[in-house]
Amino acid sequence: MSEVNDNANVEKAQEEVKEPTKAQRVAKAIAERFPNAQVEVKTNKWGRERVWVRIDRESYRELMRLIKTLDGEAHYSIGIEQDWGNELGFLSHLVIYYDDAPAVSLIVDVHCPKDDPTLPDISEVFPIALQFEREGMEMVGIDFENAPDKRRLFLPDDFPEGIYPLRLDDKGVPEEMVHNAGHPYYLKGGAKK
Amino acid sequence: MTKVEYWVKIPFGPIHPGLEEPEKFILTLDGERIVDVDVKLGYNLRGIQWIALRRNYVQIMYLAERMCGICSFSHNHTYTRAVEEAAGIEVPERAEYIRVIVGELERIHSHLLNLGVLAHDIGYDTVLHLTWLAREKVMDTLEAVAGNRVNYSMVTIGGVRRDIDEKRRRIILDMIKYYKEVFPQIEDIFLHDPTIEARFRDTAIISKRVALEQGAVGPTGRGSGIRDDARWSERLGVYPDLGIKPVMPQDITGERPRGDVFDRMAVRVGELWQSLELIEHALDGMPDGKIKLFPKDNVLVAKLKLLVDGEGIGRYEAPRGELVHYVRGKKGSDKPLRWKPREPTFPNLFAVAEGVKGDQVADFVVAVASIDPCLSCTDRVAVIENGKRRVLTERDLLKASIKKTREINPEIKGDPTPVGFGCSR
Repeated sequence: MSEVNDNANVEKAQEEVKEPTKAQRVAKAIAERFPNAQVEVKTNKWGRERVWVRIDRESYRELMRLIKTLDGEAHYSIGIEQDWGNELGFLSHLVIYYDDAPAVSLIVDVHCPKDDPTLPDISEVFPIALQFEREGMEMVGIDFENAPDKRRLFLPDDFPEGIYPLRLDDKGVPEEMVHNAGHPYYLKGGAKK
Repeated sequence: MTKVEYWVKIPFGPIHPGLEEPEKFILTLDGERIVDVDVKLGYNLRGIQWIALRRNYVQIMYLAERMCGICSFSHNHTYTRAVEEAAGIEVPERAEYIRVIVGELERIHSHLLNLGVLAHDIGYDTVLHLTWLAREKVMDTLEAVAGNRVNYSMVTIGGVRRDIDEKRRRIILDMIKYYKEVFPQIEDIFLHDPTIEARFRDTAIISKRVALEQGAVGPTGRGSGIRDDARWSERLGVYPDLGIKPVMPQDITGERPRGDVFDRMAVRVGELWQSLELIEHALDGMPDGKIKLFPKDNVLVAKLKLLVDGEGIGRYEAPRGELVHYVRGKKGSDKPLRWKPREPTFPNLFAVAEGVKGDQVADFVVAVASIDPCLSCTDRVAVIENGKRRVLTERDLLKASIKKTREINPEIKGDPTPVGFGCSR
């Protein structure tokens, strides 16, 4: 009898494990709609699942529209512009399905080559994204096509054109512009790649 | 003739007696009515992200803490979470409880500060003094627990720096007892005073649609009816065990959320009580054990050089709302390749800029204060001094001021040489 019970328990446990979580369902929905996208559900040490999506720039706006249809109250929380060496990247973090805990934490990464640094603008889907795009335009020099507002946000208006402070290559801040940046010791060069 | 002829554009800030910190709004006015608001940031720009490209993981912890005095724990904590996720480090349970306690102490002090500022902005300085007097108790408690009134340096990657022993525990319990007597007074004033209701009700309404569009977070988002709290939706640390849930305006006022200044303030009043409860539960449930994984910072630097490989996201509910940090690192380097924080004031500022359209210009100061803006957090980004310009040091400024004084009054007596060495930079 006990053996039968054990088997039943094991089967039950397996069934429970197989039940997909909200994050896995979102990952599946994205992977089905965009076969080219790299979709991965990663779980960190304390058991928090995050969906990491890498998408090409042609499908980027479509993906954002899909996210908006999945959850009409999707929350766009951050846009991160960064220099990947030979590419520029724009990574967005979104929170969806937050009507009960845990919400789905979704990260969308899109890249563009440095010789053609253009990405589609998504401010029609998430209006707040425009402000992060403005930051991306001035900080690393990504050009968001058809963005309704391309003025600078943080940098002063007399800041020289063509210099992007967070670029790690020669378009970054040159040595002669830096006055030791408040560091007690003089440091030469920037971050190592 | 169209009405546009009568519209006036006025700059509001960067330095303005009604604003606590430098930020610039360009208001388009039709008489007294606000037609449009344009936000310009960057008046408090220190280039923290750029500086961070030249610091290692442990140094950035201190840098993140100094982005802002009021939410110094939140920045440090969220950055630490992001690094821990990228490195795959799990924190001892006792450390998680201590993080909750310090985080909630910080929330009490931040909310009391903001409630006082709100009262001050409508000229109700009696209430300012009442709340800021009450705030002294939590500041003293923080000093006793962490050693500092701001910049507590309590968190480290892989745990916390200081333990909460029996003596500190008694101090915190003392504080809880004090607040149980004081909070009913504060609650009574903010929820039932006719002056406050007259000025705060139906002022700067951020509708739920605008709040969603502009990504409003924290008390600003919840005041508009967005039921989200990063501690709850992230299932952060031990918060689920302590019974966290988002505080909504209807829990406090009994009415549906309207998204005005009053609702945002009511959420803060509710969170004062919630924080007190969380601290009590955390003190009761705190297990014994280790408080950090790595005993010394040099060990930590060496370990992180090997452990961090990839990206990590940290999410935490700061007093002002959801705070997000992103860290990307590479194995073999002790520096992160990219670190970006996003502060709650950033989206809230754009939400309130939409919200005040149609309001009276006299309400603008209250509207901006109602999101509890923290511009030193928001303006953290880029660098620099133009190569052609010279940076004035403290010494140069002193020389210039002595010169000016002598110009105005050549007869002046007294020795202007500074005593001691002053700042070395």
